Amino acid sequence: MTAMRAARFRQPSPLPGFGLALGTTLAMLSLIVIIPIGALLLKGAGIGIGDIAANLAKPRVWAALLLSFRIALLAALFNLAFGLALAWVLVRYDFPGRRLLDAAVDLPFALPTAVAGIALTTLYAPNGAFGQLLAPLGIKVAYTPLGIWVALVFVGLPFVVRTVQPVVAEIDREIEEASATLGAYRARTFLRVILPMLTPALLTGFALALARGVGEYGSVIFIAGNLPSVSEIAPLLIVIRLEEFDYDGAVAIAVAMLAISFAMLLVINLVQVWSRRRFGDA
Amino acid sequence: MADVAFDDAANLARAQPLRPVASEAPWFRRTLVALVLAIVGVLLLAPLAVVFTEALAKGLGAAVSALGERDARAAIRLTLLVAAIAVPLNAVFGVAAAWAIAKFDFRGKAILITLIDLPFSVSPVVAGLCLVLVFGANAPLGAWLVANGWPVIFAVPGIVLATMFITFPFVARELIPVMQEHGRAEEEAALTLGASGWRTFLTVTLPNIRWALLYGVLLCNARAMGEFGAVAVVSGKIRGQTNTMPLMIEMLYNEYLSVAAFSMAALLALLALVTLTLKTALEWRYADQLAANRRH
Repeated sequence: MTAMRAARFRQPSPLPGFGLALGTTLAMLSLIVIIPIGALLLKGAGIGIGDIAANLAKPRVWAALLLSFRIALLAALFNLAFGLALAWVLVRYDFPGRRLLDAAVDLPFALPTAVAGIALTTLYAPNGAFGQLLAPLGIKVAYTPLGIWVALVFVGLPFVVRTVQPVVAEIDREIEEASATLGAYRARTFLRVILPMLTPALLTGFALALARGVGEYGSVIFIAGNLPSVSEIAPLLIVIRLEEFDYDGAVAIAVAMLAISFAMLLVINLVQVWSRRRFGDA
Repeated sequence: MADVAFDDAANLARAQPLRPVASEAPWFRRTLVALVLAIVGVLLLAPLAVVFTEALAKGLGAAVSALGERDARAAIRLTLLVAAIAVPLNAVFGVAAAWAIAKFDFRGKAILITLIDLPFSVSPVVAGLCLVLVFGANAPLGAWLVANGWPVIFAVPGIVLATMFITFPFVARELIPVMQEHGRAEEEAALTLGASGWRTFLTVTLPNIRWALLYGVLLCNARAMGEFGAVAVVSGKIRGQTNTMPLMIEMLYNEYLSVAAFSMAALLALLALVTLTLKTALEWRYADQLAANRRH
């Protein structure tokens, strides 16, 4: 108790255990997260901006980063639209199997990525259940960038649904009724009244799905085919560089990806600040 | 609904006039539900189903005997061991972090929460690389550890650390909002009545957060047992020694041992289904005691 009271940076409280709790938290956070990420940044600083840029400018590396970002963006966009539809259906409509559907949304969170990876590959391979149907149409999914997109849609799906769903549930129906009473058609009410209220949650879910997609590895490497410069994602290239003992090459890509992660976190936090200012405490 | 006569008050009251204006047309609802169900079926349920059909392609016996192989059993044991170490440690961290963050006001709290959330947005492969840079044989600390006979990378401790990194925020994320909602009045009352700090925690705080804690541990465990990317970087994939179940799946799949790969996958898929079932049960039964905003 006395030791805690000496700590000036916190408000006084009669509850004990602050020192122990914060000490445990900081010790574990340092060991597991801060020191390892710090080591990466330190190593990156040691290599130098110039060499990192030179490493990233190599055609194969640049292609991998661009591919990871582009496909993750396209998958997050699909999940933005479909996640909104799914959240809307789950909150607003009543139909048989609604609760089962609600539980199923979390499947990508619960199913290990390697399991999802081999299952999707089996389905979309040329001789797989879906691959056979798509082959006559000239659509190849497995072992192409389209396969990466399918895997990233799978892993990113719950993010938008789970961030938007509670916000849809809290919408005051009277606002919609007021809009309708004032003569707005349903579509107009949705676009002008409901959608603005959902925008912060949609953006947050989108950013989370995008961040997950850019860094995703397990579900992608099986279905991607991993052709350099065509369907080779950035995380895989890190693994390849490590196996070649090219630590500088691996660190360069990792630093770029960490920068993308930080940018994503910043966007999420800014969206939340903006949303709090605009809509009150959300 | 448009042709309801406005002078017919009784008719108007019966017709629930507020519902249609704040909802979509029936045809639209039906189409949207059908579309959503179809996409979820193709996107989520088909992959789940194919895991089991592929595992059972040569009968249940073949699947079970594949899981009985020596390397497969070693992988299952290692995955259980890693989860048994990583999950309780993360639970302790989660409770400690939530206690500090929810019950006290101090400077830098927002930064602390952001740092706790950080592993959610870092690629698993980058996480693995970070650990290699600290504990690998090329790093000073790693070299010293190897020289003293405690290798971390390409050994079990590295797998545990990688798993802890990936699952780090799960329990804390679940507990912080729940403990914030409870406030500290109950704990203050217990202390006023003479209870010690630990007794207050065990008899007042813990009962309030037990279902949220279980919920967080459940999600943490599912992710811990299924983690692939971060573990793949640090494990070295030594058969029978540092191969976890997800890594074993990759190895078997790349060797075209489909039944063996999918049998192992089916085991993890069963774990996922059990996790989802328990999670849903907790959400139905104890919704009021869990964090309202479910974010993973």
